[in-house]
Amino acid sequence: MSMKPWLHGRKPGDRRVRVERPHAAFFRYAGPGSLVAREAASRPRTTTGRVLERVRQALLGRPLSIHDEITERLSKKKALAIFSSDPISSSAYATEEMLRVLVLAGSAALLLSLPMAAAVALLLAVVAFSYRQIVHAYPSGGGDYAVARVNLPRIGSLVVAGALLIDYVMTVAVSTSSAVEQVISAAPALADFKVWIGVAAIALIALGNMRGLRESGNIFALPTYLFVGSALLMIAIGVFRIVVLGDGSPPPDPLPGAPSVPEMVGVLLLIRAFASGSVALTGTEAIANGVPAFKPPESRNAATTLAVVAGLLAVLFVGITFVAYSFGVVGIDDPVRRTVISQVAAIAFGDNSIGFYLFQTFTALILFLAANTSYNAFPRLAAILARDGYMPRQFSFRGDRLAFTSGIVVLSIVAAGLLIAFGGDTHALIPLYSVGVFLAFTIGQSGMLVHWLRGRPEGWRHRFAINLIGTVMTGVVTVVVLVAKAPTSLLVVVVIPLLLVVMYFIHRQYQASAAHLAVHIDAVIPPPRREERVIVPVAGINRAVIQAINVGRSIAPDIRAVLISDDPDEATQIRERWERQLPDVPLVTVESPYRALVGPLLAYLDVLDQTWPADREAPVTFVIIPEYVARSWWERLLYNQSANRLRRVLIGRPHTVVVNVPYRREPDDKPAPSGAP
Amino acid sequence: MMPFHKAVLGLNGGPTDELVVHYGCQLAKPASAELVAVHVIEVDWRHELSEEMSSENEAASAVLDLAEGIAERYRVKLTGDLLQAREVAAALVDEAIELGADAILVGLPYRKKFGGDFAIGATIPYVLHNAPCQVIVVREPVPSSGERRVGAEPVPLTSQPGPALAMGEILGGKR
Repeated sequence: MSMKPWLHGRKPGDRRVRVERPHAAFFRYAGPGSLVAREAASRPRTTTGRVLERVRQALLGRPLSIHDEITERLSKKKALAIFSSDPISSSAYATEEMLRVLVLAGSAALLLSLPMAAAVALLLAVVAFSYRQIVHAYPSGGGDYAVARVNLPRIGSLVVAGALLIDYVMTVAVSTSSAVEQVISAAPALADFKVWIGVAAIALIALGNMRGLRESGNIFALPTYLFVGSALLMIAIGVFRIVVLGDGSPPPDPLPGAPSVPEMVGVLLLIRAFASGSVALTGTEAIANGVPAFKPPESRNAATTLAVVAGLLAVLFVGITFVAYSFGVVGIDDPVRRTVISQVAAIAFGDNSIGFYLFQTFTALILFLAANTSYNAFPRLAAILARDGYMPRQFSFRGDRLAFTSGIVVLSIVAAGLLIAFGGDTHALIPLYSVGVFLAFTIGQSGMLVHWLRGRPEGWRHRFAINLIGTVMTGVVTVVVLVAKAPTSLLVVVVIPLLLVVMYFIHRQYQASAAHLAVHIDAVIPPPRREERVIVPVAGINRAVIQAINVGRSIAPDIRAVLISDDPDEATQIRERWERQLPDVPLVTVESPYRALVGPLLAYLDVLDQTWPADREAPVTFVIIPEYVARSWWERLLYNQSANRLRRVLIGRPHTVVVNVPYRREPDDKPAPSGAP
Repeated sequence: MMPFHKAVLGLNGGPTDELVVHYGCQLAKPASAELVAVHVIEVDWRHELSEEMSSENEAASAVLDLAEGIAERYRVKLTGDLLQAREVAAALVDEAIELGADAILVGLPYRKKFGGDFAIGATIPYVLHNAPCQVIVVREPVPSSGERRVGAEPVPLTSQPGPALAMGEILGGKR
């Protein structure tokens, strides 16, 4: 610390001195021997770096400290809105998916839509009950992955992780495409741009999350309540018109003597329709993943919220299906796409009415919000996998805004790629969606079976039975979805094993490197035992070379310079000068008639190794490479190309340390007198 | 209390420092006011005023670092100012005048010894008499009888700092 000049006070004796604290701009003391870096320590120091930083801050906002992380606990009302956007938004397309399959067998098959919706609602009830058990058993959150990680072999949890990663990607792709379809149903003129609107929406959501978007904000709660409120109103109006006013034109009952509807439709089509409708369950797992976000008592509040979300979802799904069935609504693709839910809204609120446009806006908003939930879940799961060593470590690093940037970028790229590949068609994307979700459900539930069998707490039999029913039902649905949605669904069967292979490969690499780098915890590290020698490749005598030689001298007394030259006369001149100016450092001149630089130097190092006495341990060879620091980007093209080549070939050579000694031209450096190089 | 634009926080490395900084930050945040945390190392007459008191400087700098850390969490602009002077109180007031501060915040510790009382010392009365701006004295919470206390209790980020206005604010003073 240094002092500034004296400062005078109001009285002659009241002088004071200001003590400078040079560290204060960059660090804070955090205890003995410990510093905390301040924001200024991370600021770029070059002009280009500062410009890029400004651009980045304009896009993403200023960096956040870890102290800025918000750890808000959610009330049930807020949690309901935040966690339910994903499951409840499924009601915007689940009915349509089911009807699209049934209509293939003719309009009479639509008679089955209501029983089918009831079956899906029953499945939802079973899954919700099963997840309530997870919520109570694993209050620290993590959902299916946490259950599988604790109770099943590692491969089980990795399959769940793979399935969930696919689920999160598909949530983004499906929710975005469906949201765009809702927009197009209200504004058909935009139909030609639907893929690019979707891609732009994904980019915007990604950008928002990279800025550190918080899901806990009220802004995220509002669209959910608006959608739920307006959808319930829409169903109520529809039911009123059907029941009280007698409106609607449901498909006619079959004539007496004709085959029953299921016979007409065929079992396979029925199974396919059920598999399509079961997409309504996607997102049910969200609450089990985020139990710690609830206010205490966390488990009870989460379980209550889960029950309410499941109930709401069932009402919306069955209600929308009932109104659609009663008015004979099916999805329309020509001349422009009109979703089932938009047609139901047109029936309830009036086509092109303000109510219709508002409802379409709320539907699109909740779908975009559902896409946003994956931006919280995917990067976090990827970060957990990265910390466990199954994903590249970059996924566990948080960016300037406390967001897991790598996860966000990968999620966006894959989801946008899918959107483009499938032409922004929700119907085409759905088969990929359901398989991953139900696979995760099944493995999570089976993990719970192991959980109850291991612990056998009071009343475990009853709980075991609930999870057993859940396991069997979701297992059956997984197979059904897989078979019924083939061949698209089979893509997941290929992708999950691929992901597993990649995860195991990464894990093995990390384990191998960790074992290689490990130091025994009790070992007392002895001083270095190998001797050291220094080799400085030179091209002549200049300031950079002298600096490198001086660094070499400070490392070991065994130092020699090596000149590789294809011009014997020039080599002789350099030697004469060298012996005059650097008499204590031997210069080895290697003539290279084939004009190679790197090869002869490597060969010289090999010969040195071979001539080392056999009874002594091989020495550590420091190769010190002088470098001239270029001041601008174009200068970098002119210098150090040989040094770079040399460094590349030397890295990895046994017992060899490569040291770059950069020589920077300081502003007050004076050029050497004429005649000097 | 009059809002301020720039306040000097007098810190002495004692138990009231955190209280003073928390309270100063809470007052400064709504008005986007600027804070200057001042710590004065008292140099006795055996040493030159400009002599580097290295051991004391380290500890003193840590006091200011602590204040800066708290202010960062509040997102309030706070700069640390480390001084060496013969008289702490005079340096504090002179620094406030030079910086154009319109408030000085100082802490008043509570001593448990001899039945317990506030240790008002010489600095606070001097500041009260000589500061040309408002002075806010932040009182350390009084422990309830029988309670065993070691130093000041840390004040959570979101809570109000104890009975902070115990001695209230004293406006004005001699210029």
